[in-house]
Amino acid sequence: MAHAATLAIQHLHKQYTVRGETLPVLEDITLTVQPGEFVSIVGSSGCGKSTLLRLIVGLEADYRGELLLDGQRIVGTSLDRGIVFQEHRLFPWLTVEQNVALGLLNAELSEADKRQAVREHIELVGLQGFETAHPHQLSGGMSQRVAIARALVNRPEVLLLDEPFGALDALTRAHLQQELHRIWKAEGITMILVTHDVEEAVYLGEKVVVMEPRPGRIRRIVPVDLPYPRERGGASFGRIKDDVLSEFGGEARAAAVLAPAAPPAPSGHADSPYALPAGARFSF
Amino acid sequence: MSTQALLAEPGSRELDAAPAPAARSTPPVRHTGWRPGPRLTNWLLAWPLPLALLAIWWLAADQGWVAAQVLPPPETVWGALRDSIANGELWPNLQISLLRVLAGFAAGLAGGLLLGVAMGLSPTFKDYVYPLFKAFSQVPVLGWLPLLMLLVGIDEALKVILIAKAALVPVTINTYQGIAGVPSRYIEVARALKFTRWQMLSKVVFPAAIAPIWNGVRYGLTHAWLALVVVELLASSEGLGFLIVYGRQLFQLDVVMAAVVVVGLFGWLLDKGLALIETRLLRWRKEAF
Amino acid sequence: MSTHPHPNRNLNPFTRIPKPLRGWVLPAAIVFVWWLAVRLGWSTSPLLVPVETVLATGWQQIASGKVFSELGASLQRDLIGFAIGASAGLVAGAVLGLSRLAEKLIGPSFHTLKQISLFAWIPLLSVWFGLGDAAKVAFLSLAAFFPVVLNTVEGIRSVPAELIEVARVLRFTRWQLLTRVVLPGAAPSIFAGIHLALIYAWLATLGAEYLLVSGKGIGNLLIDGREHFQMDLVLLGVVVVGAVGFALNWIATRIERRALAWRGRSVASY
Repeated sequence: MAHAATLAIQHLHKQYTVRGETLPVLEDITLTVQPGEFVSIVGSSGCGKSTLLRLIVGLEADYRGELLLDGQRIVGTSLDRGIVFQEHRLFPWLTVEQNVALGLLNAELSEADKRQAVREHIELVGLQGFETAHPHQLSGGMSQRVAIARALVNRPEVLLLDEPFGALDALTRAHLQQELHRIWKAEGITMILVTHDVEEAVYLGEKVVVMEPRPGRIRRIVPVDLPYPRERGGASFGRIKDDVLSEFGGEARAAAVLAPAAPPAPSGHADSPYALPAGARFSF
Repeated sequence: MSTQALLAEPGSRELDAAPAPAARSTPPVRHTGWRPGPRLTNWLLAWPLPLALLAIWWLAADQGWVAAQVLPPPETVWGALRDSIANGELWPNLQISLLRVLAGFAAGLAGGLLLGVAMGLSPTFKDYVYPLFKAFSQVPVLGWLPLLMLLVGIDEALKVILIAKAALVPVTINTYQGIAGVPSRYIEVARALKFTRWQMLSKVVFPAAIAPIWNGVRYGLTHAWLALVVVELLASSEGLGFLIVYGRQLFQLDVVMAAVVVVGLFGWLLDKGLALIETRLLRWRKEAF
Repeated sequence: MSTHPHPNRNLNPFTRIPKPLRGWVLPAAIVFVWWLAVRLGWSTSPLLVPVETVLATGWQQIASGKVFSELGASLQRDLIGFAIGASAGLVAGAVLGLSRLAEKLIGPSFHTLKQISLFAWIPLLSVWFGLGDAAKVAFLSLAAFFPVVLNTVEGIRSVPAELIEVARVLRFTRWQLLTRVVLPGAAPSIFAGIHLALIYAWLATLGAEYLLVSGKGIGNLLIDGREHFQMDLVLLGVVVVGAVGFALNWIATRIERRALAWRGRSVASY
């Protein structure tokens, strides 16, 4: 099992300066992620969730506030923090094996240990037999699994996932969500998932961080106290999902597009606290 | 540019332009006072090298490091340029060259467009013609020169034909690929909307193919200009190429260099002209797709 | 209006000939007309040599080894010049592609020089290098240099930023970034540049032989043929030049395909 770390984000502020104007992207983000925890972050576009991830992994800098991993300030990229992007970003000129091995290029292990780790992680993501394939021969889902193996092979303390399944079809997405959960249970490392798919967030996360845009802030943190593996069709699942969705209801009301009064929410009575407010529609 | 930026400062983003990740907890300090913008800086940076080379050149000629016949001083080249403009030597030769290249290019362009369109629209025609065309295009202009010299002598016809051939090949290939390469998804939309043959051609095929075709046109002009220079170097009694040979034979390097400069200048101007047309007339159509 | 569906395509004579044979129809027709012209005496010009004479001359030239020795000399110069120009081009392209500063200092001058029509350089080169092989090789190197530089710069610049970010996350050193990301990512463009350089170098070889008439070379076949009004020699020269050009192109394409096999059928995605 990899060593998992505590991630502490304290009063994080981030702004961009474009053509002389400052654009606030993140405002006063405070969040603690416990070792081995799975945290989902949801929000619509423009809420800065990707920027937050990039700050944590070290691809962006220049922020106000504190970003600490196990008490140490985060400076630049590190093999302790892995990331899986929305695009698989595999090197097209390398095989699956070689791509996964890239994660260990600068690790201090013997060649034999590296080979072993690569083999184990290819197995972990269920791609045995595809070691010598090139990315162009793989499907989108398979490529993304290789990307996950590459990010995990050096046993980081925290794995960040930036809308990893957004580019895949619904069936593959559902399958990979299950896989990701299985991997999380097997490896026990901290995982932070950014997604715009509320169901995915509730399915995988132990808590769901809801963000709102302009500027990016944490609106609410919704704990998900359901046991694993979760039933997507279950009543309590549905309730929590609606709870999260309701955070976006108010936003839709403020939006320019108003829909005619919707029929009563199917899950529960019209005055249930989890029903969508009448007249509100939203879309991601 | 992204490769360069990220290689130069691994850890900073271009937008912030602040130094690397010693995690800053305060916003970056803005410089006060005027700094030259990027465009001005770029323009300024372009000069040191050519000016340095010019200085070395002048020094070499002035100090006699190299014989004046091998490397004339920059002033005499400049003088030769002015002279040939003044005594009317440059202009008529330039005119002749330009007319030749335009005539040849026009012929090659017309032929190339016809051939390319025919091959693109009719796979049968392409089956018959393309292999011969390909074989024909394997032989460069220079390979055809002696043959054509035997057939048509060394006057204007030779030059125009060779220039036309040089332009024809890239225009044909690009036109053919442009038309044959119209994405099938657009064709399918047109078929679903029951376009007539003419509508398909005018509203789908040609607009989509115009970008690659124009590319071919530009290549065609470049090759035409190239062929012009070669042909005039080898078989002409007037024109820019002739000036170069003439100067060379009289060991008047200044005339040679002046002519070379003019060749470069007009080659560039012609290409720039086409590029300008591309931006003005064609970009908006490209973006529509 | 008949209710018949679309007319039977086989009525079109052109589609009746099977596909692989179609390409031969026009050349065969041309040869036939040529043969006919000789047979029927359409022209009294000594230029109208019979087909058989051309073939006989061709055979004789090849058998006597003359073609090969001249061609060998040309190819030797071609490959040396190409090697020099391409290597210099790779280095220059790498410098210009990787260093923004170098690109700003040297780029504009380079692009200006690039505008000068290639063959216009020959007279200058002949003054500086003489009329022999040195000038020819210098010219060939120049011809190979420009496309390699341009394509190398383009290749380096177009390495996707997304892949470079992966390298940053995985803590690649500068050297690792260069050799494991930038170079392989730029490889398709670089190979395209080298392919172009091979073609241009062959074009330049012929031009150099015309303009700097000395020594051996396949151009001599064409020059001699023209001077002595021997159409058969000239035609032989044309065929040889075309064939060599085709062969070089084919070799370059095969090498490119092997080296870039990882691309699969479509352009690589990341």
